Amino acid sequence: MAKKIKGPQLIIANRLDDGRVVFMTENGNWTPDVARAAVADTPEGVEALEVQASTSEKSNLVVDTQAVPAETGDAAFPAHMKQAMQAKGPSVRPDLGYQVSKTWETDAQEGN
Amino acid sequence: MYAYDTFDRNIIDARVAEFRDQVERRMKGELTEEEFRPLRLMNGLYLQLHAYMLRVAVPYGTMSSKQMHRLADIATKYDKGYGHFTTRQNIQYNWPKLVETPDILTELADVEMHAHQTSGNCIRNTTTDQFAGATRDEVEDPRPYAELIRQWSTFHPEFSFLPRKFKIAITGAGQDRAAVKWHDIGLILRKNTEGEIGFEVIVGGGMGRTPVIGKTIREFLPEADLLSYLEAILRVYNEQGRRDNKYKARIKILVDALGAEEYGRLTEAEWHKIKDQHIDVPEEEVARIKAFFTPPPLPVLSDDVEEVDTFARENFIFKSWLENNTNPHKVLGHVNVTISLKPHDGIPGDATDAQMHFVADLAEKYSQSEIRVSHEQNLILPHVAKKDLPEIWKALDANGLGSANVGLLTDMIVCPGMDYCALANARSIPIGQAIADRFDDIRRLQDIGPLKLKISGCINSCGHHHAGHIGILGVDRRGEENYQISLGGSGAEDATKAALLGPGFDEHGIVDAVEKVVAVYLGEREEGEEFLATYRRLGPTPFKEAVYDAD
Repeated sequence: MAKKIKGPQLIIANRLDDGRVVFMTENGNWTPDVARAAVADTPEGVEALEVQASTSEKSNLVVDTQAVPAETGDAAFPAHMKQAMQAKGPSVRPDLGYQVSKTWETDAQEGN
Repeated sequence: MYAYDTFDRNIIDARVAEFRDQVERRMKGELTEEEFRPLRLMNGLYLQLHAYMLRVAVPYGTMSSKQMHRLADIATKYDKGYGHFTTRQNIQYNWPKLVETPDILTELADVEMHAHQTSGNCIRNTTTDQFAGATRDEVEDPRPYAELIRQWSTFHPEFSFLPRKFKIAITGAGQDRAAVKWHDIGLILRKNTEGEIGFEVIVGGGMGRTPVIGKTIREFLPEADLLSYLEAILRVYNEQGRRDNKYKARIKILVDALGAEEYGRLTEAEWHKIKDQHIDVPEEEVARIKAFFTPPPLPVLSDDVEEVDTFARENFIFKSWLENNTNPHKVLGHVNVTISLKPHDGIPGDATDAQMHFVADLAEKYSQSEIRVSHEQNLILPHVAKKDLPEIWKALDANGLGSANVGLLTDMIVCPGMDYCALANARSIPIGQAIADRFDDIRRLQDIGPLKLKISGCINSCGHHHAGHIGILGVDRRGEENYQISLGGSGAEDATKAALLGPGFDEHGIVDAVEKVVAVYLGEREEGEEFLATYRRLGPTPFKEAVYDAD
């Protein structure tokens, strides 16, 4: 049975080869663009995302996959401080990280 | 400086080759993440919030210009153009790629550097006084002993899987600039009445969630017995230290449980069993290592240099820099220069690739091609002739490194916090920056005088807040960053734990709280009395009243 969840969730991870923060999309790809993250708001939906994420882990594309609470306003975004920091990059270096460009570094490296 | 022999060279090269193979196997899926994680950690490679983080060892905080140039090149080629100097006198890179790490390690090995034992439950980089071998208040240069400890502890099979990480610090000076009493083992070089060199041995200090000041278990250990005695201390810990709870696994918990006297007794008993087993190295080998640390031949000059005094009269910032950022060298007419890595609007401990090259060039010109890293996250040029100071300061100032704040309130230790660190609960750097903003005026800082402010973004205490005259701890309070203030800590020879003043504040309130604490000090201090002394005299009450006054 799927576990209880508190609100919508998205999947965050780090890419294995370079460690960059990525989010899982609807079709199971990984993107640095948090706005494209798949969001599930039922326990079954989250479990399905987690199963898909663990397949990517087993395929050695990503590590440390986690389902985390999401805000779903105009676009998906992590609800908690730490993952919000991961989505944006360091607050003290606005010149670095994903905040510079949502497709920072090559989207082409996206795994599937 | 120490130079690798064939043995050092082979061991490092073999280690790099081994890690290159492990990374290839991980990428092919022959190693799972669970299998690979401890292997990458043994090579200093963490996974942090945004990316991997590589922590490179700078043994006892000493490096050459050539090594600094290489660290800068690595920042340019493999990272985002900067590095972060840490409280273990190391440097860490925030954005390396896993697949490029073996190449980074190869480039490091080429200049006799490595990244092992900067993570994991092993003996970490031994830290020491940043002015070691160069300062006037020193009994003996601690670095040859730190190098002996490096060699003894490198891949030590018995101590590679300790209950928890293990940190040793050593000082040879009267003034403790290495916070030795806050370490798992602290060593203070002493001379006995016969004039022989030995160590006071302190065990069981540490920060984290249970701050403890180390306790002396031996007043004088002859220098020849150092390694066997350390081995005995570690054996007792390795056997009896707790492995059931990571938060109770450090030696401080064991020393507290047994009592320092009993820990000392167990150590002595173990030592008597092993001290004749040739763990200590022969005198010739100690002499060989000591020879690498022979002081440079500097001419004895006068400490009074007219052109320096003249420039100081003309330029207040230089005058402050001269007072705060220089330390008297053992050879007259020379000083050790501290380059503050706490510029206004900067990130404490960060240096760009260009700044690293610049410091390396300065060292070539003025400090015998030698550079030190301090545990307070600054860089040092040792052995500088006093007459060169105006020229050095002008060059530093032109490169954004002329800050005169060493030892003052804005010379803070600040951990990376939640801007970078996966363990953090709150950001640290923006708090440090906001405080630095509030206390930007060097004349005001100079008036406040020596004050050590230290900020940690979680209870692991990497920002040494327990040892801060003012310590700040960031916590997560129901999803919001909250900052607690503590007062009265010290990392010096009079080590004390800071005491929590009261409830925490938000990111703006904490800056006001620091300002109120400083105002109490300024109002209450006696002639020539420094912040810590005033706090110790008055106790927390007036500070508490000022900070929590309902207004």
